[in-house]
Amino acid sequence: MVERLGIPTASIVGSGFLKQAEVVTRGLGVPLAIGVYPGTPMVDSEEVLRRKVEESLAPGLLQGLTGEAPAALQTAAEPAPGTIAFSGSFDEVQEQFHRNLWSDGLPIVPPTRERVDAFLAFTPRKRHDVLGIVPQEGREASILSIAINGVMAGCRPEYMPVLVAIVEAMVDPKFRIQDCGSTPGWEPLVIVNGPIVKALEFNSGQGVMRTGRQANTSVGRFVRLYLRNVCGYRIPPGAGDKGSIGQSFLVAMAEDEDSAAEAGWPTYAQDRGFAPGDNVVTVHSVVSITSPMYSAGDRAVDHVQQWAEIIGGSFTYWAHTGFKTGLWNPLIVAGPSVAKVIAAEWSKDDVRRYLYDRMRVTAERITHYARMTSTPTFSLERLVRDGILPAEYAASDDPQRELHIVIRPEMIEILVAGDPGRNQSRAYMGNHIQGPPTSRRVDLPSGWDAMRLARQT
Amino acid sequence: MASNEPRYDVLSPLPRKAVQATAAAPRIPDLNGKTVAELWDVIFRGETIYPLVRQYIQARYPGVRFVGYESFGNFHGAREAEVSAQIPEKLRAHGADAAIVGIGA
Repeated sequence: MVERLGIPTASIVGSGFLKQAEVVTRGLGVPLAIGVYPGTPMVDSEEVLRRKVEESLAPGLLQGLTGEAPAALQTAAEPAPGTIAFSGSFDEVQEQFHRNLWSDGLPIVPPTRERVDAFLAFTPRKRHDVLGIVPQEGREASILSIAINGVMAGCRPEYMPVLVAIVEAMVDPKFRIQDCGSTPGWEPLVIVNGPIVKALEFNSGQGVMRTGRQANTSVGRFVRLYLRNVCGYRIPPGAGDKGSIGQSFLVAMAEDEDSAAEAGWPTYAQDRGFAPGDNVVTVHSVVSITSPMYSAGDRAVDHVQQWAEIIGGSFTYWAHTGFKTGLWNPLIVAGPSVAKVIAAEWSKDDVRRYLYDRMRVTAERITHYARMTSTPTFSLERLVRDGILPAEYAASDDPQRELHIVIRPEMIEILVAGDPGRNQSRAYMGNHIQGPPTSRRVDLPSGWDAMRLARQT
Repeated sequence: MASNEPRYDVLSPLPRKAVQATAAAPRIPDLNGKTVAELWDVIFRGETIYPLVRQYIQARYPGVRFVGYESFGNFHGAREAEVSAQIPEKLRAHGADAAIVGIGA
């Protein structure tokens, strides 16, 4: 951005991030001058850090500002979108896509024109409509690209309106798709609500987060393929995806709306402001998942107390990232039988308030976590002064003072899904302001249902 | 023997690139009398690294002036959009001739 203002710029980049820097550079279309810090500053002694700055980083930065301007970028030719890129047998297509880093390591469904057109028939949008320009490669998030990657992922053509809504949500600036390749290795989770859950045969019950049901599995796989192919988030031998360890794609989650209604709770989509009966997708980063949360008893508190202990135990460490940004969302997936017991006594807001009150961490501990991760200068007082955290977080200078792990009760999200025959729940942790819950209504074109049913006969 | 296996004409999953390539700004061979702005995302020990970089450059160009990262705010934090939007104006206001941006590590 600064270089575009006509101001020569040099960037500080760790040696492990050089490939990603190259991808970003191409996506921005601006050649960057780079000073390299060899290795990882967070594990170097003061002495080693000083030496690396003096011997590598600072000379590189100085050269970047005073030497020759970095060379203009050369772009490789690519097939025009919508044209035939390759012809071959099934195995040859797989090999070609693997070699080009266009797959996720699993075989893909060959995206022939006929298959892609079948997807496009399920949306009123034009194939070259563009929903946004997405990092890191600066590509157009076109309707055509959604259809092609949907075919490859094993989706059915009638899922197309769902896929379009997912990409619309992911390109919302609030979602920060530019951070999908960050080192924590978070993964977008798709949450589905509305009549399409049943119409498209999403699983919302036992084994909801397992592969095995076509709708859940292929929609989840689509998201990862889209991030690889359209955004350019690829692990080695590619570049761009810097998830240090990362996680595999998450199958789409569907809410068991019948159980939610039976318990008397609003659905997750209603909590997010949608009307009953709306078809909605929500994308939500997941950076961590609790163990299974089994809970027993016939009172609400029996279960929610157990949740507080397990969620607090699992998510407290990473909550410091939410403290730095003023936002993080724990998503609780309540088992239907558990939800029914809780809902008999408590509203969702009661649950949120209880968890908010009970889950706490000392100022000393959360500061330690932040300093261990990336931020030696972490200061609760400064975050309060900057308006990122509420005043209570700097109410005293006692390092043993207890702070709420969740910044505000309304940041806690709850939906009902899973095995109605067991007393298990689970919680998913969002990655602070990276991938906060972002929803879109699924617009079904007129005749969608008839077209869908026609395909089944 | 000819294979009976079907052949597939397939489309590329990559959509069009929308970026316009831009040339790098002209460099500044002599930093004496020039102003260098520091932009920092407040992670990865920049509080130690930036002063060392400053010291290194000043040793070679004693007439260089630095505008510290505190003047610009955290461009990758909770206020990223707001901070980023203000950077061009702040660079102009400080008369920045060059910039150092970090830290990607």
